[in-house]
Amino acid sequence: MAGTGKAHLRGNEALLTVEDLTVEFPAGRKAVVNAVSGISLDVLEGETLGVVGESGCGKSTTGRAIMQLPPPTSGSVIFDGMEMTGLSKEELRRSRTRMQMIFQDPISSLNPRRKVHDIVAEGLSIWHNDSGHSAKQKVHEVLEAVGLDPETVADRRPHQFSGGQCQRICIARALVLDPKVIICDEPVSALDVSVQAQILNLLEDMKERYGLTLVFIAHDLAVVKNVSDRVIVMYLGKICEVAAPDNLYSHPAHPYTDVLLASIPEPDPQQPVPERQIAGELPSPINPPSGCRFRTRCEKAQEICSTEEPTLREISTNHYVACHFPNETPTKVINTF
Amino acid sequence: MQPDQRLLEVTDLKTHFDTPRGILKAVDGVSFSLNKGETLGIVGESGSGKSVLVRSIMNILTSNAIVPQSSKVRFEGKDVSQLNKAEAKHFWGTQMAMVFQDPMTSLNPVKKIGVQITESVRFHLHASKQEALQRAMDLMVQVGIPEPRKRLSEYPHQLSGGMRQRVTIAIALACNPKLLIADEPTTALDVTVQKQILDLLASLQEELDMAMILITHDLGVVAGRTQRIGVMYAGKMVETADTSTLFANMHHPYTEALFKSIPRVDNESHTRLDAISGRPPDMARELVGCRFAPRCRYAQNRCISEEPELLEASAPNHQQACFYPVGSAHNQQAAAANQQAGITAAGLDLTAAAVS
Ligand SMILES: Nc1ncnc2c1ncn2[C@@H]1O[C@H](COP(=O)(O)OP(=O)(O)OP(=O)(O)O)[C@@H](O)[C@H]1O
Ligand SMILES: Nc1ncnc2c1ncn2[C@@H]1O[C@H](COP(=O)(O)OP(=O)(O)O)[C@@H](O)[C@H]1O
Ligand code: SF4
Ligand code: SF4
Ligand SMILES: [Mg+2]
Ligand SMILES: [Mg+2]
Repeated sequence: MAGTGKAHLRGNEALLTVEDLTVEFPAGRKAVVNAVSGISLDVLEGETLGVVGESGCGKSTTGRAIMQLPPPTSGSVIFDGMEMTGLSKEELRRSRTRMQMIFQDPISSLNPRRKVHDIVAEGLSIWHNDSGHSAKQKVHEVLEAVGLDPETVADRRPHQFSGGQCQRICIARALVLDPKVIICDEPVSALDVSVQAQILNLLEDMKERYGLTLVFIAHDLAVVKNVSDRVIVMYLGKICEVAAPDNLYSHPAHPYTDVLLASIPEPDPQQPVPERQIAGELPSPINPPSGCRFRTRCEKAQEICSTEEPTLREISTNHYVACHFPNETPTKVINTF
Repeated sequence: MQPDQRLLEVTDLKTHFDTPRGILKAVDGVSFSLNKGETLGIVGESGSGKSVLVRSIMNILTSNAIVPQSSKVRFEGKDVSQLNKAEAKHFWGTQMAMVFQDPMTSLNPVKKIGVQITESVRFHLHASKQEALQRAMDLMVQVGIPEPRKRLSEYPHQLSGGMRQRVTIAIALACNPKLLIADEPTTALDVTVQKQILDLLASLQEELDMAMILITHDLGVVAGRTQRIGVMYAGKMVETADTSTLFANMHHPYTEALFKSIPRVDNESHTRLDAISGRPPDMARELVGCRFAPRCRYAQNRCISEEPELLEASAPNHQQACFYPVGSAHNQQAAAANQQAGITAAGLDLTAAAVS
């Protein structure tokens, strides 16, 4: 199958291991949306795993399936040695304090009627029977950690804050439960570049301060590269390439990764805008292309690409690609587009 | 520069809003001009007044807007504010047209795509139904929509975000405007689609020889695609220059800071970003001194009390509004003094390892 395979998994050392994850949504008349189709990934403790791909490729669905929101159609999610699929509601609620998620649209993910203090403390009051006093302390600590002044913000409501400040509140809300893993689903896509930089720095700081493990989802490879230790490139519910970010940039092996790189707007007028752009639109996940799912937009597609799905294989140390005709790597130096 | 090449002339534009919190000065004295066929990028953070500026140019402001008599917007020499309602309606579309950030706000969700395109063609060009339909088909092809005939009978929600934006571009182009204003046309889209749309706008601009104003918060978006750039901060233009001049020689500390906050794909992973600390000021408050001072790493006493004007910089066609422009000896002295003090004259903590 295209983009299937587990060569890139690192075995027992991982904190989070996802195998053969498939998520299908009903789409009427027996049709299904193949949102995620048999992907595997793992995250080491203290690592940031970046997940990149265009809108609709299944990034959010993957993140949510890891959280069991909703549970995947099939596949396994093992977090800290425990299989998450099939857990009872109560067991899931418990484990969720240790795995938190933050979202793309910070403003709409906060309840507009509640005060910041209550929004951040909400999880605490559900999960821990902490006395009001220590809960308040904890809330103050995390608000301070994300760069907000607890005294001035605690009694205000979300609409009084900008998008960047709302994202800080969301991060505080996730941190308050002392999670091990935070899944960040496009946390900066809705923000200005200047605010984006603040939030990316903040996430790096919080990771260090609280010893977090992150899954960082975005559509912009420049953003993902900045914070990640390992990057997964996704396309239409499949994995195309897995590599260390610097490697992925210097030696992209998959034709889709080439396109993602060529799409990043370069803040340098002396560099010509790359000719290369992705052709057409993402095909429907209800009826994905046979063989390699990228073949309908791939410049290198051959006969075999429609009949045989490429499997992830190692092409150099810690660099995996699912393509029948990957770029020559690692000898070639890129920047030729 | 030939005077008859002038397409748009904006002089001391002030757009203030009457709000419950007082007068909000969204645009506060902006002047610039644009020649026929020229492309201008306007860059600034959220809330800096970019959209209000172009809405003022289009003359599509809300009723609480206050624009003083002294503010002028001239299009081919004509004062846009003097157009009556009927004239204005023809003006949009045939002279200037606009593409917005969220295509759903400019498309009617309950009307078929075809109707929305032909409507404007029929209204402005007095075309017959048949001619309008043909024009719609041509436009759909021009903006790169596959299966145009099928798409014409679909509704906006049946299209992807990128396709919807192509439709709004088709509508904007329907009556051959001389100026296309694109207000963050790709901010809601992902990078691959953003690239497609920006490439499309660039090729259309060239092919149709339109002037274009491209608005964005990302200097990367305008770098390769505009001839001139204006940087806006808190309702003011703080630096304008030819694109290549600006990138070669950023004078305003805000321009420099915006540039440095971009995550670069050629940086090593985990490179700390140079974020701009803090936020733009509340423009409903009386602002004294340089508006960027609270966030500026070079701020001196003068910056707190006196407001810098937009003045000619070293290169021709380059203007900047800063007392200590980047690259000058003054700037180096200011930087050194602040570094040594660990704090700027405006109180920005330069030693803070805390969240920036
Ligand atoms: N109709 C209005 N009434 C009152 N205030 C307004 C109105 N429209 C805009 N403003 C205010 O004017 C300022 C400038 O807004 P504007 O929308 O032009 O910013 P922008 O630079 O386009 O930002 P963004 O990047 O978020 O689109 C903001 O403070 C905004 O809240
Ligand atoms: N609840 C749902 N019902 C039906 N289809 C869905 C649902 N959630 C997501 N999808 C579809 O699954 C695919 C992957 O979506 P998503 O994970 O949101 O992508 P991304 O986050 O990469 O943009 C898309 O085709 C999307 O429309
Ligand atoms: S070359 Fe074939 S296998 Fe590789 S990405 Fe293109 S279509 Fe897929
Ligand atoms: S140096 Fe002074 S005038 Fe220049 S941007 Fe900074 S605060 Fe403003
Ligand atoms: Mg998503
Ligand atoms: Mg705007």
